[in-house]
Amino acid sequence: MRVYAAVVSVAMLAATLYPLTLDPREDGFPLSTYPMFAWKRPTKQTYRYALGETAAGQRRTLRPILVGTREVLQAIRVFDRAMSGGRPALTQLCESIAARVAGHEDFGDVVAIRIVTGTHDSVEYLARDVIGREIEHVRCVVKR
Amino acid sequence: MKRIADWWFASAPAERLAALRLLIGGYALLYIAMRLPEFVAVARYGRAQFQPVGVVRVLDAPLPPSAALVIGIITCVLLAGFVAGFKYRVTAPLAAAALLWTITYRNCWGQVFHTENLLVLHVIALALAPAADAWAIDKPRAPAASGYGWPIKLMAALTAATYVLAGVAKLRIAGVDWLDGELLRNQIAVDNLRKALLGDPVAPLAHPFLDHPGPLVVFSVMTLVIELGAPLALAHRRIAYAWALTAWGFHVGVILMMNIWFPYPLLGLAFLPLVPADRIIKVVIRAAQGIRRRLTR
Repeated sequence: MRVYAAVVSVAMLAATLYPLTLDPREDGFPLSTYPMFAWKRPTKQTYRYALGETAAGQRRTLRPILVGTREVLQAIRVFDRAMSGGRPALTQLCESIAARVAGHEDFGDVVAIRIVTGTHDSVEYLARDVIGREIEHVRCVVKR
Repeated sequence: MKRIADWWFASAPAERLAALRLLIGGYALLYIAMRLPEFVAVARYGRAQFQPVGVVRVLDAPLPPSAALVIGIITCVLLAGFVAGFKYRVTAPLAAAALLWTITYRNCWGQVFHTENLLVLHVIALALAPAADAWAIDKPRAPAASGYGWPIKLMAALTAATYVLAGVAKLRIAGVDWLDGELLRNQIAVDNLRKALLGDPVAPLAHPFLDHPGPLVVFSVMTLVIELGAPLALAHRRIAYAWALTAWGFHVGVILMMNIWFPYPLLGLAFLPLVPADRIIKVVIRAAQGIRRRLTR
């Protein structure tokens, strides 16, 4: 029985440590290099995301759940993939977000959805509310 | 070699390993049951968003969302058997495999998360060990020949290994620049920017460090010390307690500065193999017996 225990122990530890032999950017699951906080990142970042717009033209941030997930990172990937799918994919995504917004009472004042690419300096945005440049790709109406 | 073997196979009560099965398996069951609606919602993204990782690489295209739901429900049923210790030699490996599949599938939509890796590794380790020789529905068997200490050591070593990997990744990717405070400030700023743009709450302590990254040098150094020093927790019980407490504090710090939640370590489950977990169950049993006595009077 000790042989079985030793084999299981060595195999599991070797598998868990195996990513040490890989490029740290090669992530996987459940065996991972755990690169999540390791990167040196500039404060200026570009992301694709959706914004709400009120009848008065005011900008409203939405929530990841309106993109179909609770996770911010997952939502960003959805926008990135839709972007690479071109205008039809972006329109489809925009309309799916608009449909969820239409059924959400917290966003009753939102009349349109815009999918944009925004470039912001994260320190300026967070510390001084400086909104960077936002380029609109698709706009769709929230139908109620 | 003999000293290492003696240390690895040092005896532990069957209840201690069973407590890990109950607590970690119970958490896995609740986690999957509570998150299943989101797992299924993500599985509806469609083929364009599908990027398989790990065991799910056997698929070229995503399964129908209904299949993700059915597999998720089967995972919950198997995990219930795992926790209860019901026909453990069969249900435990199946539960571990189902958990591995279900969570890996969740990670196949363009973003690999790092919150559940250790949970899956711990459940696999428990599934391959005699973890249902106490506090289980199965009839008690003869005591395991190799004892109950080695799986607990293995789980503790897996916890340590995951932290070491995270520390090594920082040094391999950023080198000593990781310690300058600015790199961590930028991580905090960028992560909170994403939250602000996508509509998630910004972390409560993000703002004080944005213009003043200097103090973050302390956090950067502490992070690497905790991560690379994790194997020391295997050396002595007191070091293990101190390390677990510090690592837990590190995760609290991650919430305060980045609003990123790692529930498995935050609930203390990642560190359970480092402590006598059977005492937790014994306290619960005593409390339940006390309540029962009071009710039957």
